[in-house]
This record gives sequence, C-alpha cells and structure tokens, in this order.
Amino acid sequence: MHSFHHFSRRQALCSAACGFGSLALADIAKAMNPLAPRAPGAPAKASRVIFLFMAGGPSQHDLFDPKDFIRKRHGQPIDSPLRPEVTQVGTEKFLALGEVAPVRPRGKSGMMISDLMPHLASVADDICLLRGMNADNPQHASATNQFHTGVFTEVRPSMGSWISYGLGTENSNLPSFVTIHAPGVRTYNSSFLPAAHQGTPLTVPLDPNSLPIENLRNASKSESLQRQRLDLTARLNRRLVGELEGDREMEGMIQNMELAFRMQTTTPGLVDLSGESRATLELYGVNGKETDKHARACLLARKLSESGVRFVQVTMDGWDHHGDIAGNIPRLCRQTDQPVAALLKDLKQRGLLDETLVIWSGEFGRTPWSQDLSGTAPISKHGREHQPESFCAWMAGAGIRPGFTHGETDHQGYSVVAGKVHIHDLHATMLHLLGIDHTRLTWRHLGRDFRLTDVHGSVVREVLA
Amino acid sequence: MNSVWLATILIPYAQPADTTAFTKEQTDFFESRIRPVLVEHCHKCHSPDAAIIKGGLRLDHRDGLLKGGDSGPAAVPGKPDDSLIIKALRHSELRMPPKGKLPGQVIRDFEQWIKAGMADPRRAEKPVETRKIDIEQGRKFWAFQPVKDPRPPRVSDEAWPLDPIDRFIRQKQDEKGILPVKDAGKHLWLRRVTIDLTGLPPTPADINSFLGDAGPGARERVVDRLLASRAYGERWARHWLDLTGYADMMGTSNNVYAEHAWRYRDYLIGAFHKDKPFNRFILEQVAGDLLPAGSALERAGNITATGFLMVGDVEIVEPDKAKMEADHVDTQVSKIGTAFLGMTLGCARCHDHKFDPIGLEDYYGIAGMLRSSPSTHKIPFGVWSQLNATKLPETAEQAAARKEAEDGHERKIVSMVAERENLTAKKKAVESELAANKDDDGRRAGLAKQRDDLAEQVRKLAAAIQHAEFFRSKAPMAYAMGDGANPSDMPIHIRGNPYAPGRVVPRGVVRVATDGRFPPIPEGQSGRLQLARWLADNRNPLTARVTVNRIWQKLFGEGIVPSVDYFGARGEQPSHPDLLDHLAFRFMADGWSQKKLIRAIVLTRTYGLGSANSQAGLETDPDNRLLWRMNRVRLDAEAIRDGLLAASGELTESGGGPALVLEEVENCGSLARKGVNPPNYTHRKPRPTQEFQRTIYLPVMRNNPTADDRIRAFFDFVNPAQISGQRSRTVAPTQSLFAMNNDLFRKRAKSLAGKLMSRHAAEAARMEELWLVVYNRPITPAEREEAGRFLRETRERASEARDAETTAWIEMCHALLASNEFVFRL
Repeated sequence: MHSFHHFSRRQALCSAACGFGSLALADIAKAMNPLAPRAPGAPAKASRVIFLFMAGGPSQHDLFDPKDFIRKRHGQPIDSPLRPEVTQVGTEKFLALGEVAPVRPRGKSGMMISDLMPHLASVADDICLLRGMNADNPQHASATNQFHTGVFTEVRPSMGSWISYGLGTENSNLPSFVTIHAPGVRTYNSSFLPAAHQGTPLTVPLDPNSLPIENLRNASKSESLQRQRLDLTARLNRRLVGELEGDREMEGMIQNMELAFRMQTTTPGLVDLSGESRATLELYGVNGKETDKHARACLLARKLSESGVRFVQVTMDGWDHHGDIAGNIPRLCRQTDQPVAALLKDLKQRGLLDETLVIWSGEFGRTPWSQDLSGTAPISKHGREHQPESFCAWMAGAGIRPGFTHGETDHQGYSVVAGKVHIHDLHATMLHLLGIDHTRLTWRHLGRDFRLTDVHGSVVREVLA
Repeated sequence: MNSVWLATILIPYAQPADTTAFTKEQTDFFESRIRPVLVEHCHKCHSPDAAIIKGGLRLDHRDGLLKGGDSGPAAVPGKPDDSLIIKALRHSELRMPPKGKLPGQVIRDFEQWIKAGMADPRRAEKPVETRKIDIEQGRKFWAFQPVKDPRPPRVSDEAWPLDPIDRFIRQKQDEKGILPVKDAGKHLWLRRVTIDLTGLPPTPADINSFLGDAGPGARERVVDRLLASRAYGERWARHWLDLTGYADMMGTSNNVYAEHAWRYRDYLIGAFHKDKPFNRFILEQVAGDLLPAGSALERAGNITATGFLMVGDVEIVEPDKAKMEADHVDTQVSKIGTAFLGMTLGCARCHDHKFDPIGLEDYYGIAGMLRSSPSTHKIPFGVWSQLNATKLPETAEQAAARKEAEDGHERKIVSMVAERENLTAKKKAVESELAANKDDDGRRAGLAKQRDDLAEQVRKLAAAIQHAEFFRSKAPMAYAMGDGANPSDMPIHIRGNPYAPGRVVPRGVVRVATDGRFPPIPEGQSGRLQLARWLADNRNPLTARVTVNRIWQKLFGEGIVPSVDYFGARGEQPSHPDLLDHLAFRFMADGWSQKKLIRAIVLTRTYGLGSANSQAGLETDPDNRLLWRMNRVRLDAEAIRDGLLAASGELTESGGGPALVLEEVENCGSLARKGVNPPNYTHRKPRPTQEFQRTIYLPVMRNNPTADDRIRAFFDFVNPAQISGQRSRTVAPTQSLFAMNNDLFRKRAKSLAGKLMSRHAAEAARMEELWLVVYNRPITPAEREEAGRFLRETRERASEARDAETTAWIEMCHALLASNEFVFRL
C-alpha cells in the first residue's frame, strides 16, 4: 500500500545485480537504476552502517553482564527458568558458571566491559551497550536468519538489501552492500527485492592465491587473448540484439561482460591495503599473529564504508563455546578486540563516526548456567548453551547516545527486566537512524506488503543521542 | 484496503445491564493501582488508541478483559491464576508488557484486584471493529469459480490458428489490433522445443533428421520423441522440485544429510517420464502410504511419493519439539497451498488471511491432518530429530540382490578387520624392535618411520571399518509419511504459538474452494487421503488452473496468471481467462495428462512464433502479454550446465541414485553413535562421474555449497528453503565473470575444441559443426568470415604458446559458449 519505491517485476528482472552492476546500469537506463542514491523519507543521522557480526553467539556473562548471583553459586545448581519440555543436552544440572575474567567499569561512563576486551574498554565512552537484547530462536541457522532478515524460516531480504533498496548507493563504482566472510547466502540475499540489492560477498585474501571474489582469475593464457575472446562474444551478442530489434536483458549482459572484465583488474585494488599508513595497519593489528584476518577485514570495512558502501558486514566467527569457555573466549577476544576497537578509533579520527552507525552483535547470547557435553569434565572446562532470551550487543556512531548502557536482565541474567530490545526493534532503530520509517519500507510480494520488521518493531528512543 | 469478502462490521459494544455494585474501596484500589498501569503500559496496543489493536484484545474497559482477544478471555474475576493477563504479567505463557516485566508489587496488585472481583467502572467508549470472512461472497472471485469450457472464439484470420489455443490468443490480439510476428524458422523452433521439453539442446543428428523429414506430421514426430525421452522426465521433475524445498540435507543446521531424499527425486523423474496422471500424482504425494497397491514396486512408489511432504527445510535441531512440530506442519501446509492451490495458506497460521477468504479454521483444518501424521522422531542422544524413514517393500529379485550386496559388504568388513589386526601386530613388532635397538640411531630412524606409517594405516582402516559398519544395511528406505497412532483434530495455535491452544477445529479443507461438504474422516485416519482426493478433484477450482498455468509459464516464460504461485485477490489477473479455463478443462478431460497438454501447446502456432520484436507490438503491448511474439528466456542454471555438457559431447546419462557420496569416508563427519550431533556431510570428494551428469543428479546442499559445482550459486537456483514455481532472472556481472573464467565453461570449451579438431581437418567443417552444436543452426557467411579472422588473429597472438592452433579453437569455442545465443532460448 505504501510502497517506498515502486518497481515493477519487469524492471526488477532487468536490473543488473550484485552491486558492481550500477556502472552498467547507468548506461542502460538511468531512470530505473535501482541503486541510484535516494534521499531518505526523514532526516538521517547515519548515512552508512557497518555491522560486525559475531557468529556463534558470544557470551554476555563473560564480556558485559556478569551476575553476583551466579558468581556466588559457581558450580552449584540453580533453578531452571526453562519449560520442562525443552530438551537439555549437557545442561541438565543447571550449574551456575561465573564469568571467566573480571568485568569492570570503564571510562567516564563506567560501562561494564571485561578484561578480555581491553581495546574496547578504551573506547567505552563511544559505544552504547544494549544489555536487553532479545531474539526468538535458540538455533544458529534460524537465529542468524532472524538477525539478518527478521524471520527464521522463510527466505526474505537481508537488512543490507533493505537498506540498499531504501537508499541506493553513494558510490556508483561500488556495490551498495558488501559482506566480508559471509556466513551463508541467506545473510546477504535480496530474496524478492531486485537482485541489485543483493550483498556482494568478499573474502579478504590472506595469501596471493586466494581471490576476493570468485572467478576473478582470467581463464585464458593472457589478458590479450581473453580480450580477443570477449570481443568476439560481444560482436556475436550485439548482432543478435540487432536482429531481435532490442532486448534489455541481453543489452544488460553485454554491458556486464565489460564490467566483469574491469572487475578483474579493479577488485584486487579494492582489497589492497598497501596504501594505508603503518600507523593504521598497526592500529588494527594487520600482520598480528592472532589479529591479522579480522584486522584486514575491519580495515577493508572502513575503506569500503568511507567510499560510500551503504552496508558493510564483517563476520567474525568462532563464538560458539559449548565447552571450555574459559579457554576459548579469551582467544576469540584476542582475535577480534583490537581490530574492532581500531575500527571505531579510525572512524572517529577521520570524522566518519558521526555519519556511520556501527553495530556489534551475535545471533544470540549464552546461558548463565554451564554446559558439559562430555558429562565428566570439571566445571573449569564447561561451556555455555545458546540463549536468545537475553544477550548483549552494542551500537556506536551516528545518532547513538555514547557511553550509555541500556537494558537490564534479572538476577541470573536470563530474562530481560528492563529495556528490552528485540531484533525487530534493533532493525527499526537502525532504519530510523538512516532516516527510514521501518513501517513504510515495504515491498509487495505474493499480494502482501513485506517489511524488514514484519508487523513488529519499535524504535528504541532511549539509545538515541 | 478490504477485499469484498472481508466485511468490516461495526459492532456497537453492548453495555451490561447489570452494573455490579463495587465498593468505594474497591473502586479506589482500581483507580489508584490498576488504571494507571493499564493506561501507561497497555493502552498503546490494547485500546482504540492503537493503530492496530494487538491480538484483538482491548483493555480499556471491563468487558474487554472479560471478552478477551485471540487468546480467549483475559481475566476471570475471582481467579487470578486462571487469568491470562496475570500469566502474561508474570511472563509465563505470554509475556506482557513485551518490553520487560513489571515490578512484583504491580503484579501482586493485579492478582489482588482480580481475586476481589475485578472492580472496574469503565465502559467501552468506542465500538469494536471486527472483520469476518464471508465465504459465500468469497466464492465469487474468479479463481474460486468452477472451471468452465469456453467456446474458442472466431478470429480475424481463420487460416492462422492450428489449435483452439491459438484462437484465444489471436482474438485478444484482434481486440487490440496487433498482428503476431512471423513464424520462427525450423532451426529455431527445434532448438526451442528441445530445450523446453528436455532441458538439452538438439544434437546435429536431431537437426538433420527434422530437416530431412518433409512429410506431414514432422513436428508431431519431434514432439513425441522428446516427450518419450527420459530427458523430459529429468527436466520437468526439476521444475516440480522447486515447489518442494528439496535438498539432500534435512535442515540448514550442521549439514545433517538426508540420505534417502534422492528416492523422491527419482520417483519424480519416473512419474513425469511415464506421464503419471496429475490427479494420481497428487494422491500419491499427499497420501501414497494410504493407497492400496497391487505390487511391491507400486507400493514402494506410493510410499516414496509422500517425500513431497517430507523434504524441505526442517529445523531438526530445535530443542522445543512442540515448536519444531508446529513449524514443520506449517511448511507442509504452506507447500500444499502454494504447489497445488496457488494460495498463501501460511498466512492463516496466526490470523485469518488479510486478503483472501481463508481463515484460521482452514489452516488448522489441514494442519490437523498433518499433525496426525508425524513425520519426525527424536534421536536417542542430543537435541536432534530426524525425518521418519520407511523401509520400502522389495521384489524377490531386489531382496536377493540386496542380500548379496550386504553379504559382500560383511565380507569386506571381516577382511578389513583382519587386515587391521595384521597391521597392528606388525606395528607391535616394529615397536619392540625399536625398543631393542636403543643405540642404533641409523636403524631407529627407519623403524620409527615404519611404525608411523603403520599407525597411519591402522588409523585410516579404523575409520573405514567404522564407516562400513555404519552403512551396513542396504535396505531401501524412503522419507515417508505415515498416520500416527491417534489422529485427531487440533486446536488453533493462538498467534501461531503451540503453547497457547485455542478452540479445536475439525479437520477439513479450504472452505471457499470446496463444492459441497467435506467427507467425514474415518476413525483412526489422519484425513490426508481425503485431503488428497479434494485437491485432485475435478471440481476443485484451483488445482487444474494452477497446474496448467505452471506448464504454460515453463513453455512461454510467463504465466497466463503471472503470479504463478499466488492466485489470490492481490495476485495478478489472468491475461487470457478463457484460455486458462480452456486449458484447465482440456487437461482434466484428457485425464490430467501433462504430456497431452504440453504436446498440444508446443504444436500451436503461438508457440512457433518468432521472438524478434515488431514496432507495432512494442508500442501497443511492450510486455508482450498478448504473445504477439515468443518470449525470450535466459536458460536456468541447470539448462546452462547441461547444455554445456551436451555441446561438448561430455554429458553422460544417469539412471539416478544417491547424489551424496556417502561411500567416501572423508565426506562423512563423525559416525560415532554417541555424542550430541548426528553425522553430517561435506561434499569434499565427488563421484568422478558427477562432473558429467545432468545437474538434477548433483547434491542439493543447504548451507555448505559444493566447491566443484558453482553454477547454481550464480544463476538463480531456487534456495531450497523456498517454495517457488518461478525462478528469478537476474542479470549480474558476477554471472559474466562466471561465464568468462569458471572452469565449467573453460573445460567444456577445451573438450569441444578437441573434438572439433580431431573430427575435422578443414577449418570450414569445424566451424560448421561448432555453430551446429552451440547455436543449433548453420553458420552464416558473415559469421564464417568473422570466425576466420578471429582464428588468424588469435593464432598470431598466441604464437608463443605451444599450440597456437588449439588455443585459438579453445578461445573461439569459449566465446560462443559464453554468448547470449547459447545461454538464451529464443
């Protein structure tokens, strides 16, 4: 009914897809370019989003929200708040598991952050901690789908795709939505939205043999041979379009082939970090033994965002600590803490944090009680089970109230008692900061007007600056 | 926007005559402790102030609480523990307010207030708006009207139509004053019909035989040959798979493999190949297990067919099994709705459908049948469930062959165990020798290496033995439906929540599409058989229409109803309503034979039109809804890959069978029968033959895509969590990169070049054949000249390469294979 931007299905079919296509589109039909930049419906605080996805579900008890109640009962059984019908595996005893390292007040704000994240602690006054996060599904695949698309089972557009659809791209040489180390196609698919809004998956090349995107290596023995071949294909294609007296889809494909040829040479430059100063590389931890991969990814995220990519996602996985959380979570923190904090510092230094919204979250959190799949391990080797009922995330940058802690969980860190932020609310807030009313960003599909927030969601006013 | 049958009724809210006398003390308590909380925390969603009254519940007056909303009464005066509002405040079954639990004192106030009789002086200030579905009114919508047999109209040029179908098409063109373009040439028609019917291009022999057949009925002979081929079954089975959520994985989590899923795929290929009447096809897929069978083979087929309701994205790792079951039943109901009826039944899981005359009762009527046929079971360890598998009946020969296979397998295990013992003994001997040679360093190094080699061999063998023991049984199994022990009606799940049961609804079908009463379900049966018969009934207004429209879409690129999966009020209108009914009527009259319908359609004048634009057509009907020309269609991922293999001559036939390569130990995750996770699968080591088989035989993964076969990831393969009768058609530069550089294209170009060069010495002959196998038409003089120039220039450029001639031919083959004339069917 209130379609945000109207495209017919036919236009959708003809649109060049996967970001990089915008160049070609500009030539084909300027008027219908789905990636053309658009002013949002309301004043926007943020122009772009960087989403740092901690796949696996980081433990909020160990990082941000420990509980005295649990610490005092470490190793002792506590009452289960769960329905008895829910199957328990390795958690049947409901043993309290205290945090694995001290969590202390930081900065002027006194925000609680673990010793495991000293770099994040140093920028505590720049972030807004959400302790009342809430999702609906305890399984990775479903919860990841919900976090990215708003629903668990159906295939729906990812939030990056919705934002691309709502706002287009600021830089016509780049896609509007890039996802670095994507955890599965459904986290960046555009579903029923035009394919131009699909995320472009990138891999940060850690060695000379890996490619940032697939099929980037010339199949011919030399570039001139390949050029020769593409010229023949192009001539054959143009003759056919001429005989048919026009075909937009085929014309799009002719343009795309040229674009693809250029991508072979330009993409390596896009992911090349050699232009960055030594200080910047060191800030992120590039070449650091444990930090290298995520440092490169975060630095690339800044580069892309700075160049105008609307939605950049960086996925850092390995947070699924069912066992030995005391051994595992410090390692994950060592890998991610410095790169993540560096990204905030770098954005701030460049004056970009004011217009960039940064979000850090897993698909869910973990239980305050322990899990032991072996059934025989000592409590020191236990881990934690998935917990969507409450977990922590943080937001920073454009329009976000810095140094603020929002939301509270009960005595044992299971239920949210105040400041609950459901995934739908997070989505609504993110869109709001981009100047988009989440109830009006819709797409008609199978007769229904779909939204990222389905029929839910409300903007979390408390976290706005 | 309300549809006609969603009557908006304003019900003036009845004011109770008996205003219970409450004491002042009670009223004061309400005013000071209850009303402020209601206003602050509840009215935003549960009063006329709300944009949408959530859950149909109003809390702005006393009767609102008593009447309640979708979940039933919100409060029972005097009984706080039975009052839903208290449960919600306590955050037990429901959680209100959603933002967070209110303080304990507030909840105690509410308990006390209800216990004391719920004193509340408030009256409704605004009437309540209620929407009700009007089934009778709903039946007036075109899609729910009975299928008619419209008379084929007269047209301006009576010599033009070859079939009544052409009359319906031409008549609409006459109305708009559009002329159809000229007929397609023979080569183009043959390529088109061959690709549409089989998913493969015609071979040079097919082309020559058609061109050489000057007699009447040449086209009929081509079509009959194509329809009789197994390739037809392979092509059209894949179309159907798009409507099932099929994958060789059970759910998305952990890559738990669905090892028997391929049997359903093979069943489909056979069903299409043999032209199983579509009404029978429905019966078998929905209730095959309940049908009588004349032989073991027939029974096995019937059971396997119910895989339709089994395959799909099932969240088998969900620890809450009530929720898992409800979600799985939902995918089944939605699948039935989409595939057969073109209705979004899933919408009615939480509320009456907003646009179509389908209510909660319709949804839970069907859901009750499916819930009475459980399709998963919990495994003994961990949180996982698995799909139910049924052992298939075997013929005597099959049983004997299996016995032999199992015996052979046992012998293999025995010999592997013996070998392991042998190696272990050797290792022990080497170890003692090592111990005995403490001082001889030279000798020790050799012995240590020997010991390590042996240890590695033992380790590998142990894994192989575990694998062999795990896959010991060769009994044929299929994922199949079966009626449970206690079939029964089910309650509505309020807001879709299995823990909030509402009233029980009788099992039944979609009322608006039902002619007469639904037959009673015999005691002890799920009702699936009755459901299947209703779906497959000639009087069902939707099934035949939806089905012929799908067939039309596959042949013309666009449906008569363009929204092929949705025939509801918000769907698209049919461009040719009479033609749709003509096809549906004819389909049923021809015994629901898909082949007869397809044969008739592809032999029409309309199907044989050229695909070039005409100025007049573009001006009047730019979207070509009136079919003044044939639509051009980019091939789907399967047709591109299969076509490449056919063109290069490398395509190998397959009789079906498992897609997963479970026989390779390294593809299987841990097979230990204890632990928390069921075994999983990664497609590390494909079967060598898979590279050259048709795409339908390759594994369909949900989350960990196969590394060696990537085309489906780029060319709009339907995500197997989605039920979709029409693929999207994107145009992306990443697709161009794929065609330019991926091995799939490159290897085929190499093979094709090699074939051309070995078969013909002369350049001209090579070119003739290249054009014939890639474009399925002769090369033109201009193209011959262009190709000659390309070869000369490329040879020069590749002069430093070892074999410039081969390089030039590979490049030319690649250029053609990546061109639009190959990846489109015109």
